Amino acid sequence: MGVLAKRKKNRGTNEIPMASTSDVAFLLLVFFIVMPMKQEEIGLSLVLPGKKTKETTVKIKQSHVATIKILANNTVTFDGQPIALHGLQQAIKDRIVSDPKTVVILETHPDADYGMMIACLDEVKLADARKVSLKTTKP
Amino acid sequence: MAFKKTIKSEPFIPTSSMGDIAFLLLIFFMVTVVFTEETGLVVTLPRAEAGEEGVRDLLTNVYINEKGMISIDDQIVPVDRVAALMAQKVQENPFMIVAFKTDKHTPYGVVSDVMEQLKEAGAVKVFFNTDLDLPGVPY
Repeated sequence: MGVLAKRKKNRGTNEIPMASTSDVAFLLLVFFIVMPMKQEEIGLSLVLPGKKTKETTVKIKQSHVATIKILANNTVTFDGQPIALHGLQQAIKDRIVSDPKTVVILETHPDADYGMMIACLDEVKLADARKVSLKTTKP
Repeated sequence: MAFKKTIKSEPFIPTSSMGDIAFLLLIFFMVTVVFTEETGLVVTLPRAEAGEEGVRDLLTNVYINEKGMISIDDQIVPVDRVAALMAQKVQENPFMIVAFKTDKHTPYGVVSDVMEQLKEAGAVKVFFNTDLDLPGVPY
C-alpha cells in the first residue's frame, strides 16, 4: 500500500471563526472610549481686562497692591524683596490675611521666561488670590 | 388525570447578540470621537500645580514656540494679525477661550504682545495650558 492512500481527506468546512468578533469589537470599543479621555486640557484660566477705557479703569490704593516682579534674569521679587519661588505662596497668603483687599500684580519683564511667569501665576492661584493682574515691564 | 410536564432546560442568558451590541456602541464612539486636527508647533508646556480642566469645545489654540513663532489654526501668523483673526472668531463664538500652548522658554514679551492683541479683539478669556506638576522640576 502506498503512502498516498493512507492520507486522510480533510472534510472540514472552510469557515472563518466568528466567535471572537465580539472580543475584537469590545477591544476597539474600549480604545475609542479611552482615546478622548487622554486628550485633557489642563491649565490656568484668567480673564483679561479688555480694552482700556475710563469706565473700566479702577483706581486702587497703593497699600492694597502686592507686586510680584519677574526680572529679565528670571529672578522673582515680592514687593521689592527677592524671594524664592517656593516661598511666594506663603508670602501672598500672609499678605491676603493681613489685607483681604489685596490685588496681586504680576509684572514680568519681556525677556523673562514664560515658564517662570506661569510658575509664579501658579503660586498666586495656589495662594487663592482672587484679584490678579498681569503687567509687562516696559523695556 | 392531567400530568404536569416538567421543563428540563437550564435557564441561560442569550449572548449571541453581544457582538451586535458591541459593534453598535463601537460605531457610536467612532463617529463621536474627535481627534485633534491641529498639528500646531512643538512646545514643552510649563508645569503647574493649580491647573484646572478646560472646556475643550470652547478652546481656540494659540501655539507659541521657543523662537516666538505663533501658530493659529495651523497657520503661522505674525503678531499684528492676531487681533483681526481673533475678533472674527469671537464674533462666531462669544464664549470662546484662547488657550495658550506656549513653550516654557518663550520670552514673555511675545506672549504679552499676543495678549494685547487679544484685548483689542475682545477675546478676554484666556487659558494657559500647563502640564501636570512633577516634584523636583523647577518649572
